[in-house]
Amino acid sequence: MDPICASLDRMQHWSRRSLLRAAFASALAWPLRGFAFGEASRLVFAQLRHAGRWDPHPDGLPRLAWEVAKRTSIETSPAVKVLAPSDPELFRHPFAVLSSDAAIPALADAEVASLRRYLSYGGFLLVDDASAQSGGSFERSAREILAKVLPAAKLQRVPRDHVLYKSFYLLDGPTGRSVARPDVEGIDIGGRLAVLYSPNDLLGALARDSLGTWEMEVVPGGEGQREKAVRLGVNLAMYALCLDYKEDQVHIPFIMKRRRI
Amino acid sequence: MPQVDYNAWRITSLSTLPGWALALAALGIAAAVWLSFRGIRSEPSRLRRSILIGLRVLAGALLLALLLEPGIELRAETRVRARVALLLDTSRSMRFPASTEGTTRAEEMLRWLKSHLGELSALTSRFQVDVYGFDKELAPQDPQKLASAPDLRAAGDLLAQGPSTDLVGALTAASSAGTGGRPLAGVIVASDGADNAELSEGMTGAAASELDKLRAPVFALPIGAQAVKDLAIEKVVVDDFAFVRTQVVIDVTVTARGFPSTDVPLVVRREGQIVAQKTVRVGSGTERVQAKLSFIPDRTGKFAFQVAAPVYEGEALAQNNSRSFVLKVIRDRVRVVLVVGRPSWDVRFLRQLLKRDPNVDLISFFILRTPGDDTRSSQDELSLIPFPTQEIFQEQLKTFDLVIFQDFGNRPWYHLQQYLDGIGEYVRDGGALAVVGGDQAFSASDFDGTAIADVLPAQLLPPTAPSVDETPAQAHLTDAGKRHPVTELVSGAAANETAWSRLPRLPGLNTLGAVRDGAQALLTAQDGRPILVVGEAGRGRTLALTTDASWYWSFVAAGQEQGPRAYETFWHSAIRWLVRDPALTPMRLTAERTTYEPGGDPPALDAHVRGSDYGAAGGAQLRATLSSADDPVQRPAGTAVAGQDGTARLVLPQLSPGAYKAVVTARRPDGGEIGQAEEAFVVAPAGAELSRPAPRPEILQSIAQATHGKLIDLGDRLDSLPFHDPERVEVGQRKTRPLWDKWGVLVALCCIAGTEWSLRRRWGYA
Repeated sequence: MDPICASLDRMQHWSRRSLLRAAFASALAWPLRGFAFGEASRLVFAQLRHAGRWDPHPDGLPRLAWEVAKRTSIETSPAVKVLAPSDPELFRHPFAVLSSDAAIPALADAEVASLRRYLSYGGFLLVDDASAQSGGSFERSAREILAKVLPAAKLQRVPRDHVLYKSFYLLDGPTGRSVARPDVEGIDIGGRLAVLYSPNDLLGALARDSLGTWEMEVVPGGEGQREKAVRLGVNLAMYALCLDYKEDQVHIPFIMKRRRI
Repeated sequence: MPQVDYNAWRITSLSTLPGWALALAALGIAAAVWLSFRGIRSEPSRLRRSILIGLRVLAGALLLALLLEPGIELRAETRVRARVALLLDTSRSMRFPASTEGTTRAEEMLRWLKSHLGELSALTSRFQVDVYGFDKELAPQDPQKLASAPDLRAAGDLLAQGPSTDLVGALTAASSAGTGGRPLAGVIVASDGADNAELSEGMTGAAASELDKLRAPVFALPIGAQAVKDLAIEKVVVDDFAFVRTQVVIDVTVTARGFPSTDVPLVVRREGQIVAQKTVRVGSGTERVQAKLSFIPDRTGKFAFQVAAPVYEGEALAQNNSRSFVLKVIRDRVRVVLVVGRPSWDVRFLRQLLKRDPNVDLISFFILRTPGDDTRSSQDELSLIPFPTQEIFQEQLKTFDLVIFQDFGNRPWYHLQQYLDGIGEYVRDGGALAVVGGDQAFSASDFDGTAIADVLPAQLLPPTAPSVDETPAQAHLTDAGKRHPVTELVSGAAANETAWSRLPRLPGLNTLGAVRDGAQALLTAQDGRPILVVGEAGRGRTLALTTDASWYWSFVAAGQEQGPRAYETFWHSAIRWLVRDPALTPMRLTAERTTYEPGGDPPALDAHVRGSDYGAAGGAQLRATLSSADDPVQRPAGTAVAGQDGTARLVLPQLSPGAYKAVVTARRPDGGEIGQAEEAFVVAPAGAELSRPAPRPEILQSIAQATHGKLIDLGDRLDSLPFHDPERVEVGQRKTRPLWDKWGVLVALCCIAGTEWSLRRRWGYA
């Protein structure tokens, strides 16, 4: 097997000529071509605007976009699209985030219908509880909204062997700014996780102010937990774009081996 | 009135009373005698007792005689001659050589008949000799006429026309045919024993029972048995179709006669190329061997195959050392490898579509990290695997029906350079390649000047040119696109154009060079920039889609209340076209039949040609070439011109037995090639008569054993055979006369009865 960028350990065996070629290409040609399609081909997060506090961590999603771009081959945009659930423009951004630190007022029927269509045809919705309070007002309102949007489906615990935890990083479980609950929940549509409910304020762990300092303290794990939250965010982005790619047979022996290490 | 010479007589009853009445009367008489005895058993005088019993017995006997009316039958008897049937095999297998000298079996049989005519004549003094020809049915033959033919070879060929051989049927029919009551003294059968009816698999219990009913011995003359050495591929069993990349098992039955212990190499050839081989051991008592040969077909289509064994010196038949068949190889699932330079929404929607398609077996590889990315982790904390370039692009490449490069470029750290020529060769050899746009695709891919660029349907711009034009693009059908199956979203030209015009605009396109000769741009932007270009490279097909936002036709369209159907239809059609789904090929070729008989109707192929615009290619020039399973050289086999509806029939020349592959090339009247299509068929004798013609003396031996007969040699005298000669006479005239005068017997009866009555009265009995 020839190594490629997907494998760091194999990269260490590059010949000097290959490294020079890669460096030359990286320095001169390739970066110039990057992002030629503009934002249309990048991962752009859509923040759903609702009647409540829809943006509790304004820097959370841009930070996640930055981390994803820095750590993976995914090209992202730091600009977050703020859109109403009924905005047709939402369908140009299949990754949407519904968040607040308080109860979300009920959505209009048109918004519910639009979200239902969005999720049914391939959209992904991250519901992030910025209050990180299990059973709090956000959670109750979010569950009511999801029950209206997808009345036939139900939020269910995402098992630890779900591909979400191995789409890029090998993770033991979810985390966030806090650990309100040890697991995330999700709604599966046709074998695809269409909705992910994070009770632990995932984006709160990523939020940074303009001076670059973390906005929120991460408890109880501190910076180690923050890194895990970043990794979960990266895995989420990777899952949204690759779905169950990491469950293809070819990956399984590698992943099992590393899980054992 | 002529004088009748009665030479035999017998006593008979002339009574007209039915048998049961006579029996009843006999019982009554016996009862009367017994009653008489009972009544006088106390009589002390033995004399009296004897007289009374004697009179009663005498009266009873006279009464019985009166009822039976005995008479004498005078007979004029003659002795009946039994029958001997001579059965001559007239099936078509008798045209095969009896020996390596070239004499046919029928010819040898007629020579034998000619040399034994005198003995047949001698037999007629003892038996009635009936001569029949037999194959599927029994028909009388004139032995004098057969034997007196000036050219016995020609006479034999003329005689051996029967479509099959039914030995048991012939013997049964001969035992009852035209008997006239004559018993069967025996049957002489001259045959090669190549039965293909009840005894095709050897003697059975039912057949033995049928033969036992003959009650006559069968003397069998094995024809062709002198050439005892023969090897035959007796049977080849294989399914009519197989799945590509899935093992095909061929069951081969080999029969060998007269062979010492020998290792026989069996080979399976596909159009000259050996695809499977196995050695089986025959001889030394092993006359029939089963062997399983297997191979894995690597591409779809209809192919001519041949199973063959070597022809050994001294074999009776060389024709049966090989057997041909046609195998249709189809796909169970389209095997697609999706290679992605970077995860994106376009990748996600296409992969999801392919994953959901039950007809697609998808292997995908995504580049999830580039050298510039910093994961802030060790490798063990990641789920990433090395990119198995060698496995995909070298070891497994030919197992894929379609390779898709999506936003994928020839980055130096992939080390792809060594595989690019192989990928180009894969495409030219019948594979398919789709290149889908993105930041790293087309002119940004570094494929310019490589074998990949050579097979693409459009030229790549140099790397210095801008790789993307961000002007939004609305897809429009070109003239070619209006007729092409890949771009048919809905049926009907107008409705299809409307469907495309309603789809969301694409956010920019990759730039692309000139469309290559023979390739077609099917979709262009409003300003003419190509969006979708398709073409052919060798036997393979390629597609270039210059956008990384075809998912807009799914998800964004869904937001516009259109749903994802257009996207799904487009990609499904594209994949079917790329992998040459037969339903989407511009040219179809169909053999009128799968199997043709040698010397029968010549093979004919029906061609239906559509032009590159998928309209009927009227006036197309068709040229057929033929190759066979053992000879891959394509030889000219005929031409035709398509009618206005694009159809034509090509009648091929008469062909010798074998499996053939026909390739028909269609050209426009100006010489430009439209396309090619292939078809395979078999030329083989129909039925088992000619497909299993080997002499089978063992069948004749088993018949002889079942009927208590024996095998005879060419030199054995026929008139000395131990026929069963049953006695049977025929009664020509008969005359009956009563033995006694009826009235006299009656008077005697009355006198005896009266005497007994008077004596019984006198001696004190009632």
